[in-house]
Amino acid sequence: MKPIAAVVAVLALMPIVLDLSAYSHNLLTLAFLMISGALAWNWMGGFVGQVSFGHAAMFGVGGFVAARVIIATSLPAPLAWIAGALVAGIAAIGAHPMLRLRGPYFSIATIGVGEASRFVFTYWEGFTGGASGLSLPIDADLKYQLYWWGLGLAGVVAAASLLLRRSTLGLQLLAIKADVDAAADVGVSATFYQDLIFCLSGAVVGLTGGLYASYFGYIEPSDLFGFDRSIGFVLMAVIGGVGTVLGPALGAVVFVLLRQYLVASYPQLYLGLYGLLLIVIILFEPLGLTGLGHRLWRQFRKVRR
Amino acid sequence: MTALLAARGLSKHFGGLRALDGVDLELGAGEILGVIGPNGAGKTTLFSLMAGSLRPTAGEVLLDGEPVSGLPAHRVVRAGVVRTHQIVRPFPNLTVLENVTVAALHGKRRAQGTAKARAIEVLEFVGLADRAADLPGVLTLGGRKRVELARALATVPRVLLLDEVIAGINPAEAMALAALIRKIRDERKTAIVMIEHVMPAVMSLSDRVIVLDHGKKIAEGAPAEVVKDKQVLEAYLGVGNG
Repeated sequence: MKPIAAVVAVLALMPIVLDLSAYSHNLLTLAFLMISGALAWNWMGGFVGQVSFGHAAMFGVGGFVAARVIIATSLPAPLAWIAGALVAGIAAIGAHPMLRLRGPYFSIATIGVGEASRFVFTYWEGFTGGASGLSLPIDADLKYQLYWWGLGLAGVVAAASLLLRRSTLGLQLLAIKADVDAAADVGVSATFYQDLIFCLSGAVVGLTGGLYASYFGYIEPSDLFGFDRSIGFVLMAVIGGVGTVLGPALGAVVFVLLRQYLVASYPQLYLGLYGLLLIVIILFEPLGLTGLGHRLWRQFRKVRR
Repeated sequence: MTALLAARGLSKHFGGLRALDGVDLELGAGEILGVIGPNGAGKTTLFSLMAGSLRPTAGEVLLDGEPVSGLPAHRVVRAGVVRTHQIVRPFPNLTVLENVTVAALHGKRRAQGTAKARAIEVLEFVGLADRAADLPGVLTLGGRKRVELARALATVPRVLLLDEVIAGINPAEAMALAALIRKIRDERKTAIVMIEHVMPAVMSLSDRVIVLDHGKKIAEGAPAEVVKDKQVLEAYLGVGNG
């Protein structure tokens, strides 16, 4: 817990002490948002072991609800973000029937639901502005401050991940992941805990979507609900280490940098490169950077001895 | 007096296969009931129905006169009936203590203290306290069977369904486990239904035995009587009409 607080403190002071360029400020803010999303995705995909390829749905719902609240009312942005998170969390409970599926079957179902939500929200022009999207009122101060809002959220979500993993709730999630029937035979209700975690995970991802909407000031369904956004959450977790407590945070940082580079250099190819990266990591180091780190550390200790 | 656990006309059909066909049984408080029968007789199906892993095609299971059949497994555990598996299924990525702690979070809350404290108490009871920090994979089969037992006991059951706990382990460990089963009944006031192929164990532990064959109950009674029953001998040895 202390290392998290220390890292957050250093990052919070950075723009004040150093003269951060607008480019770095932007990349860091994006990274903070993605860290929150990746860690929350990992509660479901890593702790419970149900890999979702549809988290963009909650990201989009949170983003558009927050945007609508900001446009329609004079409420402060944080309240609008929370409204988006609540609606996204409630929407996630709609995944209940899917959660009876396990493993690949669940993953395939989430692809379907994620894509369906993209179509629905693209055609629901009254709410999302359809293909032309929505513009939010310009607020340059807020955009600058979102660095700290994003950092705060990432810090809270990281702390929550750590607490969740150490709690008896986390223990039950691991039991469900290991053997769902054996867990039921000692009294663990897999349905209840999966619903609960999907709801929490969806709410946090929705909250991230709200901050994202405020940050960019302009949002469109094909971006927020896009399939590559869902893949993004999976990839961040896989890069950092699925199921590890904080690995996905590291994965999110790598992902944001990588994406920045790939989209600029290979706009036609970057989705294919994501796929390649997924395959390579899962083949050679299923625990991603966390696994790689452990492996190097063991080597290092062996050499020193 | 109503029985603690009772099955009435319990049946489970898989398509045309009658895995269990109209079985009645009663279990009194503090009793150990043995269930024997040839392979495929429906013993494990009987357990799955009583533990909520399967829904019966017909009939019902009553705990203290209240129906529990048709409830999902985790609700049956909360009501006070818990099973162990013939092939042990510990959570491989959790330590022995964590395995038992998960179970201690559920079931009837008779015992006091945190789930972890209750789990430690149960581990001491089954003789695994010194292995608490190990992963189940490093234990012997007998050890893993004890983990399975501890996990079931941590839910503070009123009825414990033991599926071949003693089978498949070395004689010394088998003796120790038999003693442990008796201790569970005597000290934890838990009624036990046990499926077992190891005859000396069933005969010495059980107060009463029922015999299943082809999904039907063919005999019931004291262990010594049941083994002399003509139908039982036929089911096991295939004695003809001679």
